[in-house]
Amino acid sequence: MSRPTVTVISPGAESKETLAIPAVFKSPIRPDIVHSVHTGMNKNRRQPYAVSEKAGHQTSAESWGTGRAVARIPRVSGGGTHRAGQAAFGNMCRSGRMFAPTKVWRKWHQKINLNQKRFATASALAASSSAALLMARGHNVSTVPEVPLVVSSTAFADAAIAKTSAAIALLKAVGAGADVEKVKTSRKLRAGKGKMRGRRYRQRRGPLVVYNPDEDGKELVLAFRNIPGVETSSVYSLNLLQLAPGGHLGRFIVWTSSAFSALDKIYGSTTEPSALKKDFLLPSAIMKQPDLSQLINSQEVQKVLRPVKGGAISKRTVVQKKNPLKNFQVQLRLNPYAAAFSKNKLGQAKVECKKGKAAETFNTLLHEN
Amino acid sequence: MATFSNISSDLIWEVTRGQSSSLVKRKGAGGVQFSRDPLNLKNQYRRKYEGMVSDKAIGVQAGENGGVILLTKKAGKANFPASQIQTSTFSSSRSTRKTYSAIVNSTAKKGYRPDLLKDAVARSSAIRKSQKDVKESKPKKARGAKARAEA
Repeated sequence: MSRPTVTVISPGAESKETLAIPAVFKSPIRPDIVHSVHTGMNKNRRQPYAVSEKAGHQTSAESWGTGRAVARIPRVSGGGTHRAGQAAFGNMCRSGRMFAPTKVWRKWHQKINLNQKRFATASALAASSSAALLMARGHNVSTVPEVPLVVSSTAFADAAIAKTSAAIALLKAVGAGADVEKVKTSRKLRAGKGKMRGRRYRQRRGPLVVYNPDEDGKELVLAFRNIPGVETSSVYSLNLLQLAPGGHLGRFIVWTSSAFSALDKIYGSTTEPSALKKDFLLPSAIMKQPDLSQLINSQEVQKVLRPVKGGAISKRTVVQKKNPLKNFQVQLRLNPYAAAFSKNKLGQAKVECKKGKAAETFNTLLHEN
Repeated sequence: MATFSNISSDLIWEVTRGQSSSLVKRKGAGGVQFSRDPLNLKNQYRRKYEGMVSDKAIGVQAGENGGVILLTKKAGKANFPASQIQTSTFSSSRSTRKTYSAIVNSTAKKGYRPDLLKDAVARSSAIRKSQKDVKESKPKKARGAKARAEA
């Protein structure tokens, strides 16, 4: 079988150019690995925060001890103000410190094994080639001619896409306009405190434009960056947080043709190590045939199965019981001989008596004493 | 199915059964799971009915000026979303029975998802029924001497 190919789309010009699909698209799709790697990676961009070390402890409160019919919690000393005699320090107290005050030396970052990260990236790339997974993630790809969507690098040549208007026109021309439009209408004010912490709006993610900086240049980054939801990434530094947002597989990716053809160099194959990643071979699937019906109907499985009992006769459930003595068809089902029996009118035939009359001596013999 | 040997509809279902854009979960009625998929005949989020997942699927939708639209998925076009879905329209002037038989003859009777035969007919029937004008109820008969005198 020849290697599967993908058509290179060049907006404006009809072209029948095709590219072979890189081996990375054959990696196993493992949502469990992608999810756990995403959880770890998502933690690695956090900035430490903590409450003030002094919060709740800026008073000289001391316990009154027993015998004053009040709880032994430290109390603010002195008089002349309402604060005097109030409980302090405890997490249950008004203006006390919080329980287990947060510290900046919390374990903020997670170490993730490099091979797992690479596995997850390869898996997320493979998942981006399934239209069903893109739709399940929520991308509006019903107008996209083909996934993976590869756009000819000639459209990006000589900084052709340096303006946002050109970038939008390109996305519309290749059928990704619906997804961009969906993102635009999805922008909503965030619920909760996040609004005052630099996360004012929430919105969907649109297509991810993957380019090859060596051939496509970097002007397109400026062109795409003001389109809501659209992100750009160099093919040499793909990020799982962009390939599988939220840990869910199936990001809609718009490839430039030079980026797409660079994938084989970057990831290698299952047998040839990658040129750019040290000690990396693409993971191969444990299960070669993921289609269950093909597995079940395969010759190897069918060969060892017990033949079907009963064959064409299927058990009749929930039907009215018919009397076989009155219903001839039912009788036939039970007694195959009934057909011949009735056809030959054996029921009406006289019983033949072959033996003749008893011999004359029979009676005397019977009554002999 | 696909040009990629590592993806099958069984795998896609296992990946998406937990979360999917078409899945609608509600806590009421024992945690029902419905689907927004246009290729889902019963709007239930189940492997059999979820058309987004399967290679072949049937969808029936209401037409714009009455009638129904039949959607089917082309099996070999899994990677071509724009040309993947085949639509055919059955106008409201065609009788319901002819509509159903046309739907069944073009799909289930040809071995295309024969398991969905009844559901396709049931959905198109429900759509056609909903397109009928609501019958006006009879004016109420005056009951009682007082009411009769008033009328």
